[in-house]
Amino acid sequence: MDLLLSGEQQMLVDTARSFVERSCPTGRVREIDRDPLGFDERLWRSMASLGWTGLTIPEPYGGGGRGVLEMTLLCEVLGRGPVPSPIIASAMLAALPIAAAGNADQRDRWLPLLASGEAIGTLALLELGGRDEWDAPRLAGGPVLRGTKMLVPWAGAASLLAVATDDGLLVVDARRGSVRAERHVDLGADPLFRLELTGACAERLDGSGEAHDSVIRRALDCAATVQLAYAVGSAERALELTLEHARHRQQFGRPVGSFQAVAHRCVDMRSDIDACRYLAYRAAWALDQDGSPDLEVAAAKAYGNEALRRIFVHAHQVHGAIGFSTEHDLHLFTRQAKQAELSYGSTTTELDRVAVAMGLG
Amino acid sequence: MDFSFTAGEEAFRAELRAFLDEALPLWWRGIFSGDERAIPLTRDICASLADRGWLTMAWPEEHGGSDAGVWKQTVLREEMWAHEEPRGPQYMNLNYIGPLIMRFGTASQQQRFLPPMAHGEVIWCQGFSEPDAGSDLASLRTRALREEGRFLVSGQKIWTSYADAPADWCLLLARTDPGAPKHRGISVLLVDMRSPGIVVRPIPTMAGPHELNEVFFDDVAVPLDCLLGNQDGGWEVVVTGLTFERAGIARYARAGRIIEMLVQWARQSGRAAEPLVRHGLAELRVRYEAARLLNYRALSLQAAGQVPTVEASIARIHNGQLEQLVSQVGLELLGPTAQLGAGDPLAPLDGAVRRHWERNIPTTVAAGTLEIQKNLVALHGLGLPRPT
Repeated sequence: MDLLLSGEQQMLVDTARSFVERSCPTGRVREIDRDPLGFDERLWRSMASLGWTGLTIPEPYGGGGRGVLEMTLLCEVLGRGPVPSPIIASAMLAALPIAAAGNADQRDRWLPLLASGEAIGTLALLELGGRDEWDAPRLAGGPVLRGTKMLVPWAGAASLLAVATDDGLLVVDARRGSVRAERHVDLGADPLFRLELTGACAERLDGSGEAHDSVIRRALDCAATVQLAYAVGSAERALELTLEHARHRQQFGRPVGSFQAVAHRCVDMRSDIDACRYLAYRAAWALDQDGSPDLEVAAAKAYGNEALRRIFVHAHQVHGAIGFSTEHDLHLFTRQAKQAELSYGSTTTELDRVAVAMGLG
Repeated sequence: MDFSFTAGEEAFRAELRAFLDEALPLWWRGIFSGDERAIPLTRDICASLADRGWLTMAWPEEHGGSDAGVWKQTVLREEMWAHEEPRGPQYMNLNYIGPLIMRFGTASQQQRFLPPMAHGEVIWCQGFSEPDAGSDLASLRTRALREEGRFLVSGQKIWTSYADAPADWCLLLARTDPGAPKHRGISVLLVDMRSPGIVVRPIPTMAGPHELNEVFFDDVAVPLDCLLGNQDGGWEVVVTGLTFERAGIARYARAGRIIEMLVQWARQSGRAAEPLVRHGLAELRVRYEAARLLNYRALSLQAAGQVPTVEASIARIHNGQLEQLVSQVGLELLGPTAQLGAGDPLAPLDGAVRRHWERNIPTTVAAGTLEIQKNLVALHGLGLPRPT
């Protein structure tokens, strides 16, 4: 048992921190957010050159062969930007299923491109009228796909689309046409797209429909965990902004942070961020071990959703009106955390998973 | 980073559980239950633990320990706390009074006081709070006047745990220099509770008898060689002791045990499929996992040689709130009979959840109130200005 980072893990974190500070200050984040696809090619290339786009892809395909834990540590730092990039979608929602269920030829063709960042992947899962990510897909599978998916992250920039159908996972090369991505009116954090498939050629990954179900579940668990860590990084920045405000904003002749009610909200933020962080680390660690990570992942997500909500309520409360203005940076982090909260598992469904893992059946 | 115990640590946990299953009789419900057999049982348990080398495991070998690692010690603390602390009053010796004597005591004090602790033969209490000195502990007024080769102690302590066990010795905070600024005039004295001039008056509480007491000191003579650390240098000793104490109590482990009991209850009573039951218990389990990890974080820092005061406070904040939440959810789920206490045939889980509620009413007040802990984190962890 040891909850401290190893030397190697610390190096990854330190490198990522310098990158975020140098290459992605909030001014750059705002610029990129103005792009209709929310995507910046130059930023993506620099992340690729640092080996991050292929961090979790197996080494034989040009990746770093690292685990979900390293991805989690990296993304926590990226959340401090908050760095806008499709890295989580590409690595967790596309590369992971292809590595798990692709045949040798599919893996040879796609994984190196995803590792180098030349291709960007994502998963088209949710359908119109669907309840959540665990609904069985009804889109008809086959060599040619026709239908609509919604809330697909980063589809505008993605070239490789893993599509969930009633016959398992199929992969579409978006550059070959018959695919139209239209951006939703999303929160302004990760861009989400409505995807129209109008006769797109698709290649099925190997394995039964059931096998694909568990591949998708694992991909969602990994995405949930890594996205939670990203939001923890955003929450940490929000706390830093909040403390800065609390120390410098003077009212009634003293810094507002010297009032206990205000100070105690900041402490509650600190306490919640720390709990979220270690729950996320443990979930990521569990995903890298043999055996079921259900309890760890669901506990992290259930706690994380509620904690993120609390943290940002406190942040806005302490900031007063200035935090509401979009000229101030706080909203960049608030949106990120809200999206993480609402993606890959509601508190209710995650608590039920915990209940099952506890033996309540 | 690693989130697992070693096979050896898991095997030790199993061994401990087997020992406790055998050693603890069915009537054992912690030492505050009013059962006159309880405190004598804790003496027997401590002696048995000492025989097995489990009592002061994490102490250095030179003082009667086996230099066991932080994590093996954690396993022991968790199992003890989960079983309502069968080491009784002596757990304080092991957790922090002994370690304070190791850190601040003279060689002769160590030789005198540590072996009885290591053998499980002595009960200590701590004389800290006073009627007018609670959160503002440094304003304490119990006076230790130095004259004619001894200290003369007069004053009053309150909320003194275990004084009527009866305690053999007292770790006492007293003012030796009334002229100095309040934090700088305090000394720590080791006081023989059989000294003339000491009167102990038990305070009945909602948790039952034998926990809290008033202790009156009327010109009690304390030899000079019972001064721990420097005269007027007691505050540093106190702060160190409080950090040891916060890191050393595995409060979350009792909450964890109650959660397990509630899960079994839900299954046996056929209510495990009800959404409110499932979500109530799942929420508790999630909070338990969060608290446990934050305790482990503080311990990881300690294992790396640091003194994690802020992290220990954050863990303490989570612990206290978890314990109270477990009571709240447990009592609600168990229904109307939840209000019945141990001994009533209809009390669910033998009244364990009601007992847990009673015991934990002061959890967010004792050993540093929740508000004081938050002030500590604000000041030392977040760099916020002193609160007003």
